[in-house]
Amino acid sequence: MTAQIELTNVNKYYGAYHALKDIELSIRKGSFTALVGPSGCGKSTLLRSLAGLESISSGTLKIAGEVMNAVPPRKRDVAMVFQSYALYPHMTVEENLTYSLRIKGVAKAERKKAANEVAAVTGLTHLLGRYPRELSGGQRQRVAMSRAIIRHPKAFLFDEPLSNLDAALRVHMRKEIRALHDRLGATSVYVTHDQVEAMTMADHVVILRDGIIEQQGSPLELYDRPANKFVAGFIGSPAMNFLPAIGGQDGQSIILDLGVKQTIAINRAVRPGQALSIGLRPEHIELAAPDQGALSAPVALVESTGATCFLTMATTPELSVVFNGRSGARAGDRVGLNFASGSIHLFDAATERRVPG
Amino acid sequence: MSNVTRDRLLFAAAIILAGIYLFPLYWMYITTIKSGSEMFATPPTFWPTDPQWQIFGNVWQGRNMGRYIWNSLVIACGAVSVIAVLGVGCAYVLARYRNIWVDIGLFLILMLQVLPASLMVTPIFVGFSQVGLLNYPRLAVILAIAAKSMPFFVVLVRATFMSVPQELEEAALVDGNSRVGAFFNIVLPLARNGILVSVILIFMQAFGEFVYSKSMIQAVELQPASVGLNSFMGPNTNEWNNIMAYAAIYVTPILAIFVLLQRRIVSGLTSGALK
Repeated sequence: MTAQIELTNVNKYYGAYHALKDIELSIRKGSFTALVGPSGCGKSTLLRSLAGLESISSGTLKIAGEVMNAVPPRKRDVAMVFQSYALYPHMTVEENLTYSLRIKGVAKAERKKAANEVAAVTGLTHLLGRYPRELSGGQRQRVAMSRAIIRHPKAFLFDEPLSNLDAALRVHMRKEIRALHDRLGATSVYVTHDQVEAMTMADHVVILRDGIIEQQGSPLELYDRPANKFVAGFIGSPAMNFLPAIGGQDGQSIILDLGVKQTIAINRAVRPGQALSIGLRPEHIELAAPDQGALSAPVALVESTGATCFLTMATTPELSVVFNGRSGARAGDRVGLNFASGSIHLFDAATERRVPG
Repeated sequence: MSNVTRDRLLFAAAIILAGIYLFPLYWMYITTIKSGSEMFATPPTFWPTDPQWQIFGNVWQGRNMGRYIWNSLVIACGAVSVIAVLGVGCAYVLARYRNIWVDIGLFLILMLQVLPASLMVTPIFVGFSQVGLLNYPRLAVILAIAAKSMPFFVVLVRATFMSVPQELEEAALVDGNSRVGAFFNIVLPLARNGILVSVILIFMQAFGEFVYSKSMIQAVELQPASVGLNSFMGPNTNEWNNIMAYAAIYVTPILAIFVLLQRRIVSGLTSGALK
């Protein structure tokens, strides 16, 4: 359980712009870590700093126990898969794969052998003689991966490698990358803006916003116990519902105001009168008969994919509900809504932090 | 008016315009092989009745053209080498770094392009004679041409470098190459076409250069073909066929290069510009 990559108090400035703020991150050897966040959050900058393509302004960056702050990319022994794949257009697939070996001075016969081995694993054997422009998007993606694999690096860095693929291929490659990671026992850092990718692929998810790590942990930890409103809203699809509420007088309940005031008992300590924001995941709300739920609201929109049904309620703010199966409800109908008090997430309205308990 | 008629009209207009542009060239070649009396005949003949093919050999021998062309080649190759070696590095830096100093640099480079050779020749002449460069007149001309054509080259090649994605270079760095290695291994091969096209263009410019050569090279045996052609023409010249033969020998190789490579030249010029 040793840390393969360790960042301590890392900061990065572009002139006056503070791109990474006090990053503390420890990446376990053999783990799959996803860096996720909206665009401009610093996730790519962080990854490029690991590769050495950006220099960090302060703090320490260790890879396999060695301080790498001022070490140029070529001496870090990490492999990177770029969003655009960055295949060398003037080289064949085989030359692309073996480029790093050629620079290292590996003999030609050995390079060929290594290329054949990797190509067999990634299914590129029949494409070794082609040029990148003669390949499809998925094939290029595989070449980019293979170029990284052939080096047996200390860490794999992925910079949104799937964002140029169509939806079906993306889901397929997701599994393939994860399977490859497990087979190679590699350490992988994966940047994405797609939380589904992060949740499904990674052991450890790091959520960034404006250069700050908002929360990190296992995917389910983030789903079950988001540290703040941003993480709660970012993880999960469709996104979590947020409703304004205030703390009840007994300190054990909250008062929800959806047109009609409603008191809900809750097993957490709140300050009486505290402005709160309650979070309810759409999948944690159940439909009930119109007058039997904890809440009652008119339906604005029903969308069904066949297996799953999405309901949007005509409330302010809008509430969305999702469940498996089908619903007889139609737009305009009034339905009751039920939820377990344990599934309520409580956030302070001012600080947006999770209310403990 | 239907599309077909419109296309035909436009095509006819294009043919006529091309004819007007190419007529002097045609006239040069045709005058070359006319005899002395036919040259001044009225009305002029558009195809010589008695082609004088031996004129090319006579002019080549009589005017000692081998030496002139050799000097032109030396000057053009020298200037192109200086420009290519220095300009490629300069263009690369200007393509990869974006800040206020780079913008100022680019502006100055474009400014230099505005100044005509005939304006620059006097200060350059005085400067070169001060440092003794005029004792090596061909070198002096090479340097002057290099200074004159460098901006053009840098601007063209910079556009080529900008069309090479930076991620390729970064991939090479992560793959274990150094900055310099990545430049020679990845960037340069990908920019090769654009650089070649620019080299050809400035070569053609330098090969026909006149103003600097005329003012700085006094010794006849060091003068390039452009100056040789000029000295051929006196105030009372009437041997137009010989002069035209000289001109034909001089420009035909350049024309041939251009025709052979024109597809590449045109695509090389626009590929960087459109992105």
